Amino acid sequence: MKKELIELRVNGRTHELAVEPSKLLLDALRQDLQLTGSKRGCDDSSCGACTVQVDGVPMLSCTMLAASCEGQEITTVEGVSEHGSLAAIQKAYGDWGGAQCGFCTPGFIMTVKHLLTQNSNPTEQEIRSALSGNLCRCTGYSQMYQAIKAAIEAEQKGMAAAR
Amino acid sequence: MTDFSIIGKPIAMVDAAGKTTGAGKYTDDLSLPGMLVGRILHSPYPHARIKRIDTSRAAKLEGVVAIATGKDAPNPYGILPVGHDEHALALDKVRYVGDNVACVAAVDEATADKALELIDVEYEVLPAYFDPEESMKAETNLIHDNKPQNLEKDYHHVFGDPDKGFAEADQVAEARFIANEVTHAAMEPHSTLAAFEIDSQTGKPGRLTVWSSTQVPYYLQHKLSLVLEMPMAQIRVIKPLVGGGFGGKSEVIPLEIIAAIAARAARAPVKITYTREEVFWAHRGRPRTIIDLKTGVKNDGHITAVKARVVQDGGAYCSYGVVTILYSGALLGALYDIPNIQYDGYRVLTNKPACGAMRGHGTVNVRFAFESQLDELAAKLGLDTAEIRQRNLLQPPCVTINGLRVQSYGLPECIEKVVERSGWKERKGKLARSRGLGIACSHYVSGAANSIIRSDMPHSTVNIKIDRDGGVVVYTGASEIGQGSDTMTAQIAAEVLGCSLGRVKIIAADTDLTPIDIGSYSSRVTFMAGNATLRAAQEVKKQIALAAARKMNCSPEDLIFRNDVVSRKDAGVARAPSPASLPENQASVSGRVEGQILRGSLQQKRKDEGPKDTMTFEEAVVAAIDFHGTLTGTGSYAPPTEARGGKHKGAGVGPSPAYSYSAQVAEVSVDEDTGEVAVHKVWAAHDCGRALNPVSVEGQIIGSVWMGMGQALTEEMVWKDGMLMNPGMLEYRSPSSVESPEVEPIIVESIDPEGPFGAKECSEGSLAATIPAISNAIYDAVGIRLRECPFTPERVLAALRAKKNAKHINLTEGVDPTSPTRFREHGGSLWFRGKGPERHPLDPARREVPAEAEGDD
Amino acid sequence: MSLPEFRLLRPRTLEEAVGYLAKDANNIRVLAGGTDLVPSMRQKLFEPEFVLDIRHIAELNGIRPHQGNGVEIGALTTLTTIEQSQILRRRYPVLTEAAATVASPLLRNMGTIGGNICLDTRCLWYNQSLTWRKGCGFCIKKDGDLCHVAPGGTKCWAVFSGDTPPALLCLNAEVEIASAAGPRRMPLREFYTGVGDDYRKLQANELLTRVFLPESSADYRGIYRKLRIRGSIDYPLAGVAVAMKRSNGHVADARVAITAVNPAPMLVKGASELLAGKMVDEALADAVGNLAAKTAKPLTTSAITPEYRREMIRVFTKRALLAVAGN
Repeated sequence: MKKELIELRVNGRTHELAVEPSKLLLDALRQDLQLTGSKRGCDDSSCGACTVQVDGVPMLSCTMLAASCEGQEITTVEGVSEHGSLAAIQKAYGDWGGAQCGFCTPGFIMTVKHLLTQNSNPTEQEIRSALSGNLCRCTGYSQMYQAIKAAIEAEQKGMAAAR
Repeated sequence: MTDFSIIGKPIAMVDAAGKTTGAGKYTDDLSLPGMLVGRILHSPYPHARIKRIDTSRAAKLEGVVAIATGKDAPNPYGILPVGHDEHALALDKVRYVGDNVACVAAVDEATADKALELIDVEYEVLPAYFDPEESMKAETNLIHDNKPQNLEKDYHHVFGDPDKGFAEADQVAEARFIANEVTHAAMEPHSTLAAFEIDSQTGKPGRLTVWSSTQVPYYLQHKLSLVLEMPMAQIRVIKPLVGGGFGGKSEVIPLEIIAAIAARAARAPVKITYTREEVFWAHRGRPRTIIDLKTGVKNDGHITAVKARVVQDGGAYCSYGVVTILYSGALLGALYDIPNIQYDGYRVLTNKPACGAMRGHGTVNVRFAFESQLDELAAKLGLDTAEIRQRNLLQPPCVTINGLRVQSYGLPECIEKVVERSGWKERKGKLARSRGLGIACSHYVSGAANSIIRSDMPHSTVNIKIDRDGGVVVYTGASEIGQGSDTMTAQIAAEVLGCSLGRVKIIAADTDLTPIDIGSYSSRVTFMAGNATLRAAQEVKKQIALAAARKMNCSPEDLIFRNDVVSRKDAGVARAPSPASLPENQASVSGRVEGQILRGSLQQKRKDEGPKDTMTFEEAVVAAIDFHGTLTGTGSYAPPTEARGGKHKGAGVGPSPAYSYSAQVAEVSVDEDTGEVAVHKVWAAHDCGRALNPVSVEGQIIGSVWMGMGQALTEEMVWKDGMLMNPGMLEYRSPSSVESPEVEPIIVESIDPEGPFGAKECSEGSLAATIPAISNAIYDAVGIRLRECPFTPERVLAALRAKKNAKHINLTEGVDPTSPTRFREHGGSLWFRGKGPERHPLDPARREVPAEAEGDD
Repeated sequence: MSLPEFRLLRPRTLEEAVGYLAKDANNIRVLAGGTDLVPSMRQKLFEPEFVLDIRHIAELNGIRPHQGNGVEIGALTTLTTIEQSQILRRRYPVLTEAAATVASPLLRNMGTIGGNICLDTRCLWYNQSLTWRKGCGFCIKKDGDLCHVAPGGTKCWAVFSGDTPPALLCLNAEVEIASAAGPRRMPLREFYTGVGDDYRKLQANELLTRVFLPESSADYRGIYRKLRIRGSIDYPLAGVAVAMKRSNGHVADARVAITAVNPAPMLVKGASELLAGKMVDEALADAVGNLAAKTAKPLTTSAITPEYRREMIRVFTKRALLAVAGN
């Protein structure tokens, strides 16, 4: 099928891409922009490994057409690290065992980032339901909750220090 | 020596940042210039002869570069030397829906997909076998011609005198248990990238490099050599990050060889990444297992005899099957003291994807049956269910009746701990209605004492190189698959050398660079690769000590290596030197600031200053290199002969240098109207010898328990006439965060005499206890014994109704994965409500009087 | 798995959209949230020449209360937006509760109310890859003439698996359907055919644009109960919605609807009459439960047995009634 030229805004930069109309956002990110942090784990929109934020809302990039996302602001896991260092949530995921094989981790990071902007101090129940669209096969999720709590604490300390 | 600086400390995995930022590369994240995409054509029939394959139409499609079929690589292979029954692409027969027929390499995925539709294959459909007990009766149309009765392998073991044991028993229980098929479902679908280099001398394709999502790079190199008829030295296997294995990547998976065949045919790099459906077809998961189990006990709770007949539905190829069926029998021992054991194991071929090794390989299903039956016997005897387990403990060090050597044995403490933490004594029997507590135990090997390929070769070898920069490079063939292999290696090297973790760099799982390690399976890495690392580091340390001791006027034994400092014992407790004493801060003295030159001159300067009490790690390293010329060390590990088991046929599987132990209490509630089971909490104590990195150990315990819960409640591969009904993450239900219970991991350290720093296995052993802990808790909650897992709501409800003698609604017929013996003539299914196969008299779901469904109108 | 080739149409207005539909009615699929269509296209269940991407038609997005005249919901409103809407939660709780159970949070961020109403019917013999379906010889719903769940049958029994439609049925919701000829309105209960392969009365040149919740069913108590194996992600295996208005402890008006057990979501006939004017007790809830179970005709379209699914319709109906009638 003939390719069409689209403009995709990813992690604050605009990219001009020639893609087939059937190209999925995930494939455009991974193949055309070499942003391979977002992963493909299933083919039936059930696992969440491909989660990115579209206009700040976490969505499955494997279930969206790249061309359909023109004009929207896409954030991938590559856009999360702050000034070349780990964001608090990334550091905490490492420290607390939130990532084992790491394949689902970028998806979780995108979901958790959104949760924390909506709710700066979620209960464990709220964390559980917010994460329930992302599957992990290694951790049993428990250490993620500790990581998220640790990240919240680190953020709060950081903010206090900044004040 | 228990005062460690790095061992036993909770640290982030050394590769964590790559995973949380997305910078880490998995195989599918890699690409090469000119790379093609490979897609595989799969069989639509469960059993058929291939009469003709015509690829001509597909070859003409624009963008198709090459098409490979079985003829392009006819050599058979298999992970076990006794099981070379697979072809990467089918030669003459397909044996399951999803079997591999041809591969297209094309410029992109869409083109390759389109080309697959243009390949014409003519099949002659053969009768197929889906139920193992039916399959065992087969006389014609065998799945493999050299396997009569479709029997891959059977073993018959008798230890002690089981008949006498049962005669002495006061209580005997006998039942059939069924554990349905489950799969690994690692988040990363398998992926392989293969590329040939052109040889400068011959101008033809020469060396092959394969990047693959594998747990076993060395075996992959070996099988590639076999199938492609290339010397192993011409093949380089590199393992990038792997997104979970659980056993599903612990053998050579068809795509790994197909990618290489396709790359050879296409004369270009080819990458194949499985779709999720293909991952289910590649499978190698835990087989559906039928267990007829009989256990005898004395009134005091002592087990007198155990008899088990185990039938495993192995699928169409051998895979690890012979090992699985042996583990199922061998690991009846080494948990409790059982004086008499009879084991009859049958590994049966059927026309379904091959089963293989999955977390807790071979033990899980039999352990479910055993621990459930033990619970039942305790109830009959009026014994506390924790107590009956305590009465059957081994007295190590010992060798079990089936020849397994047990040295460290933390099971008693595991039971004590979970009983205490769960409030067992105070709460058991006193919970609210429909809520209950159950206990179960399990164990697992810390690597197999005998490797798959029988030889005296070490199972792990590790090289360490240190250069003048003080950087420690560890070369290990061990495969990081998310379990923390690299981190464990770095920790052990740093601890032994007394240097900081930041100095250690791990080069792993690249067959060109790293020495042979047989891979990440059977929980062998910490014990075996860990010991090899320990030995390599000790060798290097010895060399450093020799040189440093000369500088410090003492004997090498008097030196302590810690916190990047080498110091004399009598110089007091080693501590990090104050910043002012670091050589970097003396840069102004020499006026030169370039690293190497500076170090050399400082070294000269310090040499002139006479003997010291302490040296920095870097100074000691430089001294050692000056003295020895180079600074490298090698360590290897082979299990001791005493640990390699008995002499009977099949004795090679089961023995391990050390066993891990686990005890668990599960708290559940059951909805009596719906049959839904909620697991509220699991207390899981695990004896891992020593926790080298407690965060990782806890993560492994929680992950094992959680995966066991999946098998107990939600996960099941559902089959209809050889069609897998749920080949996706949507219908194969891996638990989400909502229903996953809180797991309280409890680390028990028995300090194994042979483990590195006393460490043993921690990644698999906990899984097996979870399923029976849950079933026993369900019994405690509502008084039903469930003998078929997963305990789906309809199975639970059916059992509840049967118990209450309520009007019978046939709630489970139809989820039964067994099916008619002969494959249908047309595409339709013979299976329909009520039209299932006749059930075995002991089948847990069997009913005496089949009744009509209610309200059928 | 790659998507089949198609041409993408991206209208910005409704007028533009229905224009495209009028032109290529027979070879076009509508893409809204994509959570149903995209996975199905991967499996080659749909291979249209055109995909009409309506995601960016602003006029079809949002919740608009009409003073004294119910609430209008644009078809593109996401399920997350509905779940979090204060006015809906207050006045039409059965809908927000049903919306909150759909799939997973990620899928609710994408999935729309219109898409949930139009959701394709599902069956384990249908929602599979092309290769897989070849293996089973295809089925009536797609590419074949056999039914695997009712062998010998000629009717498709693929099951409707949306969560919000039973809630909307309880609320007497209406839908607006637009075409180049203009909009028309119909009660949702007339939208479905009850046949698995041709499950909805939406012509190929039409677009579902709005949902109307009438004032008359506002402020009903409501509850939705869903049978699923996991606490998230899963489609319903059975679902029951109940909306009820009480006066003086008695039922003034009530409706019960079920989903995921028939090729269409259905109001339970006779339930309202049975409940009207009575106090809900165990016996009455049981009776309505039995009625609901009779209405359910599940077949083996999922890995859970039909008998169990029907039994759960009974249990969930009873429980939902007792819960909604309780204080």
